[in-house]
Amino acid sequence: MNTLAKVVSVSCLLICSGYAYCQNPTVDLYVKEIKPLFKKRCFACHGALKQESGLRVDTVESMNDHEIIDDELLERLTSDDNSHRMPPEGEPLTQAEIDSIKKWLAAGAPGPKNEQAEADPMEHWAFKKIKRPAVPKLGHANPIDAFLAHKQKERGLKPQKSARRSLLIRRIYLDLVGLPPTTDELRSKKPIKDIIDSLIDSPQHGERWARHWMDIWRYSDWYGLGDQLRNSQKHLWHWRDWIIHSLNNDKGYDRMIMEMLAGDEIAPQNLKTVAATGFLARNYYLFNRTTWIDDTIEHTSKAFLGLTTNCAKCHDHKYDPIDQEDYYRLRAIFEPHHVRLDALPGQTDYNQNALPRAYDDRPNAPTYIHRRGNPAQPIKDKRIHPGVPKFLASFAHKPTPIKLPVEAWAPGVRKYVQTDRLAKAEAKVTAARQNLKLAKRKLAQATNSEKTKSVGQALADDFKKSRPKIWQTIGRGWRYQGGLLAQTQPTTERSCLRTEAHHPRDFDLTLKFQTTGGKTWKSTGIRFDADKSGENAHTVYASAYASGPKVQLAHTIAGKTIYPTDAKSNQQIKLNQEYTLNVKVRGDLINISLDGKFLLAYRLPQRRNGSIELFAFDSTADFYSIQVKPLAAEVVLKNTDRRAATIDSGKIVDLAKAQLKLAEAELAVLKARIAADNATLRGVGNGSPKTAGRLQLQMALAQAEMDLLKADASQKAATEKRQAKALNALKRGKLPTYSQLRGSQRALDQGTHKASQYAPVYPKTSTGRRTALARWITHRDNPLTARVAVNHIWTRHFGTPLVDTVFDFGRRAPEPLHRELLDYLAIELIESGWSMKHLHRLILTSKAWQRSSSNLAADQQTLTSDPENHYYWRMNNRRMQSQVLRDSLLYLSGRLDQTRGGPPIKPGPNVRRRSIYLFHSRDGRDKFVSAFDDADVFNCYRRRESIVPQQALAMMNSREAVEAARQISARLGKDQSDFAFAQSAFLQLLARTPSGSEMKACLSFLKANPNRVLFIHALLNHNDFQVIR
Amino acid sequence: MTSNSFISRRQYLLHSAMGFGSLALGGILAGEERAKPDGQPHFRPKAKRVIWLFMRGGVSHLESFDPKPALNKFAGKSISETPHADVFNPKHFKDLRVVVVDDANGKDRKTIYPLQTGYKKYGQSGMEISDWFPHIGSCADDIAVIRSMWTTDNNHGAQVQFHSGRHMLDPRVPTIGAWINYGLGSLSDNLPQFINIGPRFFDKRDGHYLGPAYDAVNLKVGSKNSLDYAVPHGSMNKAEQREILNFTNQLNRLTSEQFPADPVLEARIKSYELAFRMQTAVPEVLDFKNESEQTRKLYGLDRAETRVFGQQLLAARRFSERGVRFIQIMHGDGAAGAWDNHSGLRKGHARLSKQVDLPTAGLLTDLKQRGLLDDTIVVFATEFGRTPGSQGADGRDHHPFGFSIWMAGGGLKGGVVHGSTDELGFHAVENPHYVTDVHATINHLLGIDPRRLEVPGYKRLDKDFGHVIHDIIA
Repeated sequence: MNTLAKVVSVSCLLICSGYAYCQNPTVDLYVKEIKPLFKKRCFACHGALKQESGLRVDTVESMNDHEIIDDELLERLTSDDNSHRMPPEGEPLTQAEIDSIKKWLAAGAPGPKNEQAEADPMEHWAFKKIKRPAVPKLGHANPIDAFLAHKQKERGLKPQKSARRSLLIRRIYLDLVGLPPTTDELRSKKPIKDIIDSLIDSPQHGERWARHWMDIWRYSDWYGLGDQLRNSQKHLWHWRDWIIHSLNNDKGYDRMIMEMLAGDEIAPQNLKTVAATGFLARNYYLFNRTTWIDDTIEHTSKAFLGLTTNCAKCHDHKYDPIDQEDYYRLRAIFEPHHVRLDALPGQTDYNQNALPRAYDDRPNAPTYIHRRGNPAQPIKDKRIHPGVPKFLASFAHKPTPIKLPVEAWAPGVRKYVQTDRLAKAEAKVTAARQNLKLAKRKLAQATNSEKTKSVGQALADDFKKSRPKIWQTIGRGWRYQGGLLAQTQPTTERSCLRTEAHHPRDFDLTLKFQTTGGKTWKSTGIRFDADKSGENAHTVYASAYASGPKVQLAHTIAGKTIYPTDAKSNQQIKLNQEYTLNVKVRGDLINISLDGKFLLAYRLPQRRNGSIELFAFDSTADFYSIQVKPLAAEVVLKNTDRRAATIDSGKIVDLAKAQLKLAEAELAVLKARIAADNATLRGVGNGSPKTAGRLQLQMALAQAEMDLLKADASQKAATEKRQAKALNALKRGKLPTYSQLRGSQRALDQGTHKASQYAPVYPKTSTGRRTALARWITHRDNPLTARVAVNHIWTRHFGTPLVDTVFDFGRRAPEPLHRELLDYLAIELIESGWSMKHLHRLILTSKAWQRSSSNLAADQQTLTSDPENHYYWRMNNRRMQSQVLRDSLLYLSGRLDQTRGGPPIKPGPNVRRRSIYLFHSRDGRDKFVSAFDDADVFNCYRRRESIVPQQALAMMNSREAVEAARQISARLGKDQSDFAFAQSAFLQLLARTPSGSEMKACLSFLKANPNRVLFIHALLNHNDFQVIR
Repeated sequence: MTSNSFISRRQYLLHSAMGFGSLALGGILAGEERAKPDGQPHFRPKAKRVIWLFMRGGVSHLESFDPKPALNKFAGKSISETPHADVFNPKHFKDLRVVVVDDANGKDRKTIYPLQTGYKKYGQSGMEISDWFPHIGSCADDIAVIRSMWTTDNNHGAQVQFHSGRHMLDPRVPTIGAWINYGLGSLSDNLPQFINIGPRFFDKRDGHYLGPAYDAVNLKVGSKNSLDYAVPHGSMNKAEQREILNFTNQLNRLTSEQFPADPVLEARIKSYELAFRMQTAVPEVLDFKNESEQTRKLYGLDRAETRVFGQQLLAARRFSERGVRFIQIMHGDGAAGAWDNHSGLRKGHARLSKQVDLPTAGLLTDLKQRGLLDDTIVVFATEFGRTPGSQGADGRDHHPFGFSIWMAGGGLKGGVVHGSTDELGFHAVENPHYVTDVHATINHLLGIDPRRLEVPGYKRLDKDFGHVIHDIIA
């Protein structure tokens, strides 16, 4: 059969003079259907990449050589036995496909003449070392133009002329700094090169280009549920600011990669460098370590190397020479690493600010291949060692462990951490001291006023008019109106009418009032025994609180108020209903009635001389009259034993003392811990862990003491037990191991963990694996890194990439049309010290980049033969990126806040910072920015440019656009004629003057609509405002 | 793929008299690096659109479309004491993938919890449906219930999974609505193709690597601001807006003197026209004033408990009539979704089913009487079922191993029950279906071959495509 097949095919080929002219339909069938099918389903294992069982099926000849073109082929393709059937993965071939193969076999399995076998994977263009190509000698100053001109010439294409100067200036501004030029800048006579140079060196350049790299490197602020961090890290903006800073300083791209992957290893003392590892910290995922590392591997590979190593997680890569073990070798590089927040100078609260960073946490954690990518099935009989994909490993570095300085593995010993903690503890002591002073003073006041005796004055007022001799008014909203006193502004601040004179000690008070409204509590009533400060008084009030209206007696002693639950009477207090409240007090006994009905009797915890106050708390109220007279001796009060829990002023002083003692103990412990840390960890001074341990016990005692003062009965026993234990330990000298100072907070391994359960110190050495990886990625011989970077940069300047699959330079990416240009630029990047600014200058000063983007007056033949502009005979039009659009609106309105750096801002229509500083995560992003193809935080190697009606709605109706139209219109001034106005508006917004027909349209619109805001609004909606021409 | 394709697409736009009726709304695209589908089905479709009702939180299959008398029989017993102890055999759990360990674990609820409501047979088919869904029951002969669904996430990430086919721990991929939006052309010039109403699940995006243009457009039914940015900020009135729009378009057209043959410019002009129409059209669709009293009643607009969902479903019908392809309605507030009755299941499910039962039946009836059900697919789904065993005193836990959904309408059989769970309702045993089988069935009915929509660089796995459930197809 085999021989026969060969004979048949050969005879066929004898008849036909090559496949292109071949009339043999069976060869056709093979070429058009069967071979593509084999390519899709079989080549991965039986082609150039791999030859499972030594078999290749990429040519008929090799199939014949392996004698598979027989019944076995069909049998293997159609077997019901899954372990036997080919292909082993995915769906079996369809019946139609099998039928075609049968037909082909029946015809003798002919193949075309000179059939090409699949090329050696290492011959793939992107896997070959980059060499500097010779620049075509066509007299071009800029090599980019030389390469493009060479290709254009071959095809007979004629490039467009340079763009109009004002449009070009706008293009430069939007490209390099992401903000449009002012009209002065548009009219500038400076040479284009100088404009480019000055913009590249402006700080806004970093802000513009950082956003591009943040797309590629998947910048995302944290997200989680409530306060629980689930993905990325809080304060990741430090990495964002590092990117901006690095770009502005033209840090080499190679150095940037080194710092992002291994900043903690190459510059462990420099937190500004360590901030770069935010690249790794971004992938943190609370719930699944494998997902976390998978993301790290996938996006490190795609972003820097243009390799889809992720396809080798479950099985060998189908297209590229990357096997599953390679994937787990990469995993082993990242296996030890973890994420933590390092404290930063001046801030001890990790929620406020800290530095998210990577570090090696488990240097010895083993890596195993996961069977079919399932982490539940590690293949434990083989430990996988760190390494890079073997096919490119010739220039790889072996990781060497890196000894870390003590500040890196024990961040608690950093000078500023110690100083900041000391300052905080000292401040606490100072505050406690002040608090004690205050408490003592209060106690003195309370005791003093107890001592003074005064008869007090009777009082009667019908509130027909203001009587300032009787009342002092405190707070706002009090009005004498319509023959009554009204409180008109509900407030929870201290607000009352207070008698200048003290009231009789035993008194009988009647108040007529109604509550007219308020917010929540709606309380109206009186205070007595009230001192000036408002810190001491008894209060009786009626509350119309919807969920529990009542009359309540409360005590305020030394600033603390208690509302005894047994000193209240639930009453249906209604709004706008008059009530008569009566309060009788004799000694410590009080009786309260409402509308003549007795409500409650109570024993007051203490008495003092003081004033009467009328008050409305959180309510509006009308007061009709008040009468206070001495309580007649014959009045009998209802007796009771009920008495509020005393707030003992003396106890307040005790508590303040205990607080001070505790604060001092904490400070002492802190000092001792620092001394012990310095001695044990850095070998400085003679601090002793023992002292620190003892002081820790003493602090525990101080804590217990204070807790006992505060504790209610239920906690008392436990606290006393704690106290006894500490005392005992202290007596026996059984000192606890002191806790080293924490200078960082480790990210959690699980949601149920607490950061405090992890050790405050970390491994003293880092594995050096990530450094080795970064050195390999940035090695001069790495064929991918520079090419991939150049392609990204080119895409963002020209709108179209040189290699379409920007994150996949593997074998699925065909050799690009402008391969020499790509390679040339890659070499330029490398040899300039990986200077991106060099590349920007080279590109922007090329004629290609400066060409007009219009088809106007284009050579007809050029238009027809390359309408898609593959040859860059004109510039491409691009829409402003979403961030640039928003920034431009604000900037042109004169409202852009150009503050640089810092924590992300919560988005919203009133925010005026540049868009790069807006919070940007899975759940939180700006609505306006989102409407214009914002970056997907999961994956955004290339921004899309959609045109959807929602964008039109946003530009038409959003607050952002409407406000911008108003402001821009105001800035252009109203003194100009319609003509002049139209001209300056066109220049400012579209960077050009209107043509004759455009001016005509403008003038007629302005005549019909004198409101120039509408005109500006229309220009903002103009295609050429949103597009970079 | 070269950039060839998108330019030729631009050209197409330019030379096809801007025939947007035949193109997806999100598809007026420039700068794409791939060939886009041409908006035509790959083969003859049986349906044109989808109304996708999704109950967030996990509806108990046991008390909805898969009632199990055995639960009453064995109530209070440990499953291990029943003849069904084998349901805990670890071999059944090999597909389970846990995001949060022990956060919610359906396989640990062992004490059988009896049915919390009764059930009876409905329609000619005698399909058994619980007493909480009597109105849907009355439509039994129009629906195809699938009682053998399974998924692999035991937590609410299963919502993402039900829509995308991928577990939360996998990379994010486009959802079924996004694929339909991507693959099929628009039937309307004025309305978005893919609408979401109600609370979204964790991911507020659908398009993912297809791009944000394929995200659902979020609409708020019963609100003045039904569509983002449809109401101008400040004092601008409709006439002024029209003025601005006309002038903008006039200027844009004049621009082509200087930038001739620019397809983006053409597309932009078109998008403004579309936007202007959309901001009028959407409120019009959501204005029910011309709906008869009878129709309002049908959807339960006259009752407090059914009004919200009823309005959303009535809106869905009105959008269907006007050519919207995929209308996704999410029911159940809260981070996890209201149906997540870990406790108080009887009270919770009784209340929630009351909200959806009558309006859903109303939708089916209304679509049918208008002849729309013939080419509209209605899906009633949830992310997973609930455990046969009790959780706490009166709840059921998450249950991904077997649960029910139903589909009705265009190209589907009515009155059929497909697949089954075991006697306890624990595992899907007969004709088990992974969630993407639902996607495959919808694609099939709409005439889409999803394998022809693949995007370079983003490999889809076999499981992403699923298998068409032929048994429920008419």
